[in-house]
Amino acid sequence: MILRDLKSTLRVLNGSFVMQAKDRVTSNFFIGTLFIQPVIFTLLAVGTYYYGGNPDLGLYAVIGTGMIGIWNSNLWTSGRIVQDERRYGTMSLLVASPTPFGLVLAGKSLSNALASIVAIGITFATGLIAFQLQPDIQDPLGFAFGLLLTLIAMTCLGLILGSIFVLTRNAGEFVTVANYPIFILSGLTFPLTLLPAWTRPLSSALAPTWGNLVLNSTAGVILFNPWIGYAWLVGLSIIYLLIARLLFVRIEKMVRRVGSLEEY
Amino acid sequence: MYAIQTTNLRRVFITTIGVVRRKPKEIVALDGVSLEVLPGELFGLLGPNGAGKTTMTKILATILLPTSGEARVMGMDVVRDTARLRPRLGIIFGGERGLYWRLSGTDNLRYFSDLYKIPPEISRKRIPELLEMVGLSDHADERVEGYSRGMKQRLHIARGLVNDPEMLFMDEPTIGLDPVAARELRHVIADLNQAGKTIFLTSHYMYEIDALCQRVAVLKKGKILTIDTPSALKRLVANLEVVEIECLGAAETAIEQLRRHPRVEAVSVVNREQAQVLQVQAEAGAELVQEFLGILEGVRVQKVITRQPTLEDAYVKLMEGETLNV
Repeated sequence: MILRDLKSTLRVLNGSFVMQAKDRVTSNFFIGTLFIQPVIFTLLAVGTYYYGGNPDLGLYAVIGTGMIGIWNSNLWTSGRIVQDERRYGTMSLLVASPTPFGLVLAGKSLSNALASIVAIGITFATGLIAFQLQPDIQDPLGFAFGLLLTLIAMTCLGLILGSIFVLTRNAGEFVTVANYPIFILSGLTFPLTLLPAWTRPLSSALAPTWGNLVLNSTAGVILFNPWIGYAWLVGLSIIYLLIARLLFVRIEKMVRRVGSLEEY
Repeated sequence: MYAIQTTNLRRVFITTIGVVRRKPKEIVALDGVSLEVLPGELFGLLGPNGAGKTTMTKILATILLPTSGEARVMGMDVVRDTARLRPRLGIIFGGERGLYWRLSGTDNLRYFSDLYKIPPEISRKRIPELLEMVGLSDHADERVEGYSRGMKQRLHIARGLVNDPEMLFMDEPTIGLDPVAARELRHVIADLNQAGKTIFLTSHYMYEIDALCQRVAVLKKGKILTIDTPSALKRLVANLEVVEIECLGAAETAIEQLRRHPRVEAVSVVNREQAQVLQVQAEAGAELVQEFLGILEGVRVQKVITRQPTLEDAYVKLMEGETLNV
């Protein structure tokens, strides 16, 4: 029984993963965004440090830009996934199916997370071509492990946001508003030490903060014990998942009560 | 045990009016609906736009919650027992939405099979069978965005059957289809019912309900007006005949005068592009055509026919006062 449930859960995750990948691959707009955005962000971010007299912070900027790519892929696409379901008119069918909507969103978000690895690759390539920044990663294994944990944690955070997006048809506007505060609070655009002390608890609750620290430390850009970051990423992933699960149950009831599933 | 049983089902939507000072406004979509559907029955729900048909279907299909009252499907409560109920239901909406347009027909069915937790060894066999049944085998690997409206609607039927449901909810499944496609779809619906599936069908096409359903409930402004067999409903108008007057620009006062005629039971107005068709239900054998034309003096009358009443006329009698737009 448990094995059968696990199998069907994995099938739903896989089905949603493949579904999202196929849907995205057929969208020229998505492919354009995936390739063009990291190039522009890298040129701007690395250029700021490079021409501002701090070329040694170039790798920091590249990693930060890569993290922005992952974040965009998760937050932006979580909003897009929910909006697309509304646009297709499939939202109510998903809610009426025996599969919890959170599981559908998890599979689709994982698909986007994987696509965001491409964005990181493009970021490093742009840094190398435009600024001759060598991607000298001090601890490649630790970096890869940190990247994996970051992707998982960001996907879990995306689930919380995705559950909220189910409530509103204005997910796109919310994404636009939420992006930049998160970039700043997570230290993706400039170091956290430049922020006032009262923002620290907020920064700590965000997975991108720890992902950024872990990737920068394993790359040898900053001094930081990556194991602390790994632990935070695992812990936050569990907390995000629990919150998302709770929210999905409540929000499903709420949208059934309000009847807003097909508003677009 | 009933396949469907609702008791005093009520659903109220809250909306807002105004831009700056928004005021809440209640819209009563269902107002104390009680009905029973038997296992294996093809049950029709008739009503004009806004009568509450889709709301009723969505509550029974666990998409919406009722505001009050109770609804049970196959003995299970639609509010509390969703986990047990959902795998056994099939939901088919009319229209083009509800499919992933960028994916193929097969991909859509495979995905919904996963969502309904159908083991792959079953879905691998079932999906080609369903595509064959709805006549889409030759287009199975084409993207849905290239499908015609009829093809999308047939894919909807296949999608609603991926889990081989015991109970099917169909909300205006033939809406917008051309007559040939609609007839083909009606054959599919009849076959599914003959295969033992209980079907809850909403429509505002009378002939569809007449041809398919064993019993019909007529819904108006959220309330059930009557529940009976199509032939019993037709008996409501058995002593009447229908005079159809196709004309241009009949004034509301003239139509009201027809309505007040002592031997007229009901008058409905069907707008067909520029023309109006006044369907006057009058006492059978009363020879009233000349009198009616006298009331419509000055109005350009194009055609007058007298015919036997149909289920549509029974429906019109129940809905008296509603304007139908064709």
